[in-house]
Amino acid sequence: MNGTDNALMAQVGAGEVAKLAVLFERHHGALFRYFVSMNRNREWSEDLVQDVFFRMLRYRTSYDSKQSFTAWMYQIARNTNVDHAHKRRGEVVGIEEFTERRPEPASSAPGPEESAVRVQDLALLKRALDRLPSDKKEILILSRFQEMKYEDIAVVLGCEAGTVKVRVYRAMRALEEIYFTLAGEKAS
Amino acid sequence: MNRFSIVLGLASTLGTLLVGQDTPDRVTVPFRDAAKARTLVVVVVNGGMTIRGYDGKDAIIEANSRGGPSRGRLRLPSAPPGMHRIDNQNSGLDISEKDNVVTVNGGIMHSVDLLIQVPIQTSLKLKTLNGGHLTVENISGEIEAENTNGAVTITNVSGSVLANSMNGRVTVSLDRVTPDKSMSFSTMNGIIDVTLPADVKARLKMKTDNGEIYLDDGFDVKLDASSRAPVVSDRRSSGGRYRVRLDRTTYGDINGGGPEMQFTTYNGSILIHKK
Amino acid sequence: MTCEEAKTLLSEYWSQTLDETRELAFDAHLAGCETCRAETERLGVLWKSLALLPVEEPSANLRGRFYETLGAFRQGLESAPRRSLREKIVSFWPRQPAWQMAVSFALLVLGVGVGYEIRPEKQEQPEVAQLRGEVSNMRQLVALSLMQQQSAGERLRGVGWAYQVEPSDTEVLSALLKAVNQDSSVNVRLAAADALHAFGASPGMRKAILEAIPKQSAPLVQIALIDLLVDLKKKEATPDLRALAADQAVHAGVRQRATWAVEKLQ
Repeated sequence: MNGTDNALMAQVGAGEVAKLAVLFERHHGALFRYFVSMNRNREWSEDLVQDVFFRMLRYRTSYDSKQSFTAWMYQIARNTNVDHAHKRRGEVVGIEEFTERRPEPASSAPGPEESAVRVQDLALLKRALDRLPSDKKEILILSRFQEMKYEDIAVVLGCEAGTVKVRVYRAMRALEEIYFTLAGEKAS
Repeated sequence: MNRFSIVLGLASTLGTLLVGQDTPDRVTVPFRDAAKARTLVVVVVNGGMTIRGYDGKDAIIEANSRGGPSRGRLRLPSAPPGMHRIDNQNSGLDISEKDNVVTVNGGIMHSVDLLIQVPIQTSLKLKTLNGGHLTVENISGEIEAENTNGAVTITNVSGSVLANSMNGRVTVSLDRVTPDKSMSFSTMNGIIDVTLPADVKARLKMKTDNGEIYLDDGFDVKLDASSRAPVVSDRRSSGGRYRVRLDRTTYGDINGGGPEMQFTTYNGSILIHKK
Repeated sequence: MTCEEAKTLLSEYWSQTLDETRELAFDAHLAGCETCRAETERLGVLWKSLALLPVEEPSANLRGRFYETLGAFRQGLESAPRRSLREKIVSFWPRQPAWQMAVSFALLVLGVGVGYEIRPEKQEQPEVAQLRGEVSNMRQLVALSLMQQQSAGERLRGVGWAYQVEPSDTEVLSALLKAVNQDSSVNVRLAAADALHAFGASPGMRKAILEAIPKQSAPLVQIALIDLLVDLKKKEATPDLRALAADQAVHAGVRQRATWAVEKLQ
């Protein structure tokens, strides 16, 4: 199984540090999206991605190739995010300004999946997602955007896979509630 | 690995319970692991194919022979009394599934048109050699399509595309683009007509010898300064040389630039539309 | 199945990871329970819409910073054994003051001698050069590993990376030639042929290109290779190009191009 994430990280651990470049190429985009979704700040998110890969280097020997690399990576990502949040406490965040800069979601063309999709207002959905409590938001990002296996998410969050499934359901319920509240505000 | 051959027109036992033959010319093959990425690989020697995404889990493969006695449903003549036919593998399709990769080979002896439906999220590797169309609709994944003697038409898809035709037109319409993926569209003699989502970010590399390049006015494209230089420079009157610039490649960034998107045609034009 | 049980299966239903047995049971429940059916439908629409949200991309900065960090880290690793050598000297340090003095003096003499011997002209330069070397090694690694991937899209990216390695990099050059000759995707072969431009000065280039042309099934790639010979001004290729132009088995467009190239190289 040469060339898989697990094998590559094991090689990094065994001293072939340069192989981390391949893992970076494969995962930095997804990690960046995870952080941006969590923090809504591009600059921080780039710092955080950088930090995750640096931590992988530091803890490279502690990686066990029998363990899912994706789960391990998001465990590190979560810790990194928590550490940075502590440091940043008190800083004023330009969230609104950031939201303005985002590409207009409504402009992105419908994908093939949209045949079944009746919700047109993606901007509204994005706002609803941003308003979710962070634990709910996180589980949706991991399961939906990162398309992680529920078993891997369970490892990252330190709970049972069954719990993850129920929490995904609850997060979707909460998202729906906020979405329709926002839609109601908009309509009135 | 489950590997078997079917011969069109025969409701033969397929040797595995996983596969269902609904009608003589229709076969359903499940992808083993619904959680894992799916890939469909199709090679048609003679004939064409249409691949369509649908809201389901299996690959549904339908074959239509061309110009046969009953078009649309192939029936081989029944054997004379007292005799039985030994089926030649080459007369039908060869279908197999391994590690979530469904492979279909066909059109070796007879010309065949395939209609294959797969779950929307499936990656495709498609190749046709002789006289067929190659059409893909409603797919989300990595799409690789090559057609030697016909057109390649890929519409209503998301993901990334590598498309090539030797003599035909290459038409691609992407609803959404996977960020970070390089793409490439090429044809020897045809037109390349590509529609991209409004927010696509890419580094365009466009090369045509005898055609023109048309870009949608609605796109924010910054062409490289060197690309704008005239292709022909005539300095003979001022004692200079008459030269045609060899590099007919035009570079440009769309929406600020991104992964490389290459367009290559010799005799055709390049059209890039905004969705 | 109760409604509570059905709810625990919903997330797997959306992500299409339910096995057949459970999906059938789930469907059976929906068929009889209007509340669950409506909820599955409503939330399922939201679930699908989530995939349609626009995607944020990191800036190009991120990649540059990563490779710098990785380079610096590797450099640090290489100097690590030296540090442990120092630790060995420390452990060797005698406890007796008289011996300490003697050893100090010996080390001082040795140190001055060594210092004189290896004193660098400019201290930073070798480090910067090394860092640059590390970064280019990693680009090579990325290019090579992507070019070996199953996915044609990934291989195409690997070819793109080849533009960022040193033009003297023979490993990447041979990977590109291999791609030109053997890759299953016409588009990857075409991109690899283009990428060879950067390696034009390499010895044996003309021969490699001329050998590649007849192996090609795609005329588009053959033409790209002929153009490459012209761009690199490989005049010595003229006889081969003439032969190609006269070969009736070759695609007409390719023969035409070869004729044009012969004129061009005059």
